[in-house]
Amino acid sequence: MISDVERKLLGIMMIVIMFGMGSGLIWKDFFRALKKPQGLLIGALSQFGLMPLIAYSLGVALSLSPEAAIGLLIMGCVPGGTTSNIFTYFSKGDLALSIMMTVFSTLLAVVLTPLLIFTYGAKILQDSQLDVPFGDVSATLFVLLVPVALGMFVRKFNANVGAVSEFIGGLLGIFVILFLIVTWIPRNAGLLATTPINIYLASIGLGLCGFGLGYLFARLAKQTEKRAMTICLETGIQNGPLGIAIVLFSFPENARDGILLIPVLYSLFIVLSSAAATVFFRKWMTRLEQQKLKTELL
Amino acid sequence: MNDLQHVPSLAHLAKASAHKFGKKPAVTMVLSNGMNGSLNYEQVDSLSDDFAVYLREVLKVPRGTVVAVQMPNCLSYPIAVLGIFKAGLVLVNVNPLYTVPEMIHQLNDSEAQVLVTVNLYRDKAAIMLDKTKIQRVVVASLVDCLPLMPKIISELVIKYWNKQIPADAGPSVSMKAALKEGRARRVELKIKTESYFNDLVSDSMAVLQYTGGTTGISKGAILTHGNILANMRQLFVFLAPRLKEGEECVLTALPLYHIFAFTVNFMCFYAIGARNLLIPNPRPISHLQRAFENYPVSVLSGVNTLYNALNSEEWFRDTPPSKLKMAVAGGMSLHSKVAEDFKRITGLEIIEGYGLTETSPAVSFNPFEAPKPGSIGKPVPLTEVRLVDDQGLDVPIGQPGELWIKGPQVMRGYWKNPTETGKVLRDGWFATGDIAVSDSEGYLRIVDRKKDMILVSGFNVYPNEVEDALTQHPAIQEAAVIGIADGPAGEAVKAFVVMREGMVSQPEDLRAHCKGLLVAYKVPKYFEVRSELPKSNVGKILRKELRSEALSEKGSKA
Repeated sequence: MISDVERKLLGIMMIVIMFGMGSGLIWKDFFRALKKPQGLLIGALSQFGLMPLIAYSLGVALSLSPEAAIGLLIMGCVPGGTTSNIFTYFSKGDLALSIMMTVFSTLLAVVLTPLLIFTYGAKILQDSQLDVPFGDVSATLFVLLVPVALGMFVRKFNANVGAVSEFIGGLLGIFVILFLIVTWIPRNAGLLATTPINIYLASIGLGLCGFGLGYLFARLAKQTEKRAMTICLETGIQNGPLGIAIVLFSFPENARDGILLIPVLYSLFIVLSSAAATVFFRKWMTRLEQQKLKTELL
Repeated sequence: MNDLQHVPSLAHLAKASAHKFGKKPAVTMVLSNGMNGSLNYEQVDSLSDDFAVYLREVLKVPRGTVVAVQMPNCLSYPIAVLGIFKAGLVLVNVNPLYTVPEMIHQLNDSEAQVLVTVNLYRDKAAIMLDKTKIQRVVVASLVDCLPLMPKIISELVIKYWNKQIPADAGPSVSMKAALKEGRARRVELKIKTESYFNDLVSDSMAVLQYTGGTTGISKGAILTHGNILANMRQLFVFLAPRLKEGEECVLTALPLYHIFAFTVNFMCFYAIGARNLLIPNPRPISHLQRAFENYPVSVLSGVNTLYNALNSEEWFRDTPPSKLKMAVAGGMSLHSKVAEDFKRITGLEIIEGYGLTETSPAVSFNPFEAPKPGSIGKPVPLTEVRLVDDQGLDVPIGQPGELWIKGPQVMRGYWKNPTETGKVLRDGWFATGDIAVSDSEGYLRIVDRKKDMILVSGFNVYPNEVEDALTQHPAIQEAAVIGIADGPAGEAVKAFVVMREGMVSQPEDLRAHCKGLLVAYKVPKYFEVRSELPKSNVGKILRKELRSEALSEKGSKA
């Protein structure tokens, strides 16, 4: 389904994306987030509490095959993606919050992603031959943290190299998905035509349920509309390329294809759902702003 | 810093700094994404020499000619400005946001013959070739002098994403080509720019700085090299004890074409070998984040609006700049709430000063050892002040009067405008049009602009005071107060307020809040909520626009 060249290319792109993410960070960011754990806590809970649960429940509800369910679960357990920052920006959301949530969920992911995949995975796979390579998933994630650290280091010594890699890394996040659309869809048209409807439902549903529950959760936690909207996008938009990379670099070759389908489909559809959500939010935020204007005091 | 005593002109100053600070970084432009480019003192010196030679030898501009510079803060700005001084020419700063008619007026009035601009405004420059005495246009790029990759990326973003480069362009030469040609000529003829500027004296005209949008048509204040150098010396008496030569890093978010940033940020800090961080576009204020993160900012200058905006940024509040040791404010009155918040966040008192275009600009500054919040401090050295009533007689201490100034920083007059000059310059005294009060220790406090005063039932109400009371309300982000015609009582106080995000407040509540702080006749009668207030390019709230809106509204209702 994905050739060896593509696999290596994806690996390199992932390293560049993570390097770019690191280039956007300084130590102060961590200090700042720790100073205000509330936003972090809500983010972590929606990211690693809600999303894996949604993924697992969707898998059960749609009675997916173990391979497909694992693929879906991986997408639920990976951290938020950098593309959420772009969509938040266009939705007139809270950009700083979005960036912070992405960064922290990525850091927490080193421990939580393998742990969650393992915990829920054990349930999904209890009657299956398939095995979750727990160590390999951790290793893949850990390896991807090295470029984050490198990026931070480089930025400290040369702000220009940092800014350029951050820029390129951000673009590459979208490019990877375009790359998939261009190279992968035509070659797998037959496969896509025969893919059962429940796989599609799961791929689209994960993001949409993430949006909805993320928003509700944030409102329950007494966040403003703007922040809730940001948390909603952040929860629903997962790091798709990372999910694909985990499958490609942690699972044995013969198991990959079946698992890979949902992460790839999710990555494609989330762009569409996020774009739709962005259009909606943008209108909504603009209306809120205008309403604020109209509440003339006299 | 004491060397300044013997420096006759800003061109001499530029040379002296280049010799003294050589390879130290002089200017660094920082874009909002962190991409940046720097020039050291040697580079600025050599490039501005090239530009001086280009102006004098290639364009054959005669000595004393006026050259206009219309640029946001970028690396070409110091090259152009110091080049103009070194060539013995006169600078006129043009606001980049000016409309075509405003530009035509300013360029015709100043009789500028060369316009140095950036590609973002090249369409306007093309029109100037037809409508003014401008004969040549030099166009720099915002990304000039950036390293290759940031340059390519920024250029693509500006051109294709922001679509900021206008299509129409008249005949012009690029800054890059101009510098190249200037250098070739300089090497070929072995020119030292000293031959152009050695006979500049302190009385030579340096800058025509336009001002007075508030009173209608703008006028050019004639500032000499001596005016600006004198003001720098006056400022250093206040600032120098806190500054270390060659070690400071100053953040310049205010536009350099404005006299405050020109003298304080550019000239003063160029004289002491500081690194100047130039921010081309400080709006939104989050554009400053990377500059604060990547450089050890030690000095910050700003106006009330800038400090207010910084105070409400989460990243600034949570991790204030650790190396910051000096924050100065001018240009407009600093609200007490803004100063308090800033102090709580950074531990620093914002040092408020006062000045005007006509006074190069500093008139008074708060001493570091004993600043008085809400005051504009004491007059800078060699500056005499008077507070006078409408008859021109001194008012008793503690009484408000119009501020009059005498000192070496006061302009020579308005360019070719004896009528306006006569209105403000009398026997060496400059009448500021600002109402001030002096306390027994000699600290001055600006009450308001004379013409912004509101007359309610015969009582004077100063908008600043009411605005200050309003912004102490937790829900209010910004406020502007004007007087509107209101029945037999004459005028009534009307407040325009911008709410903090997610906050609402009822007029009864705001009125009650004001009543706790102000005597009854000062409390606003009318409130209007706005999403933003009209502001000038440096962030001054423009009351006159609110007044004219109110007037036209009334007209349309009638």
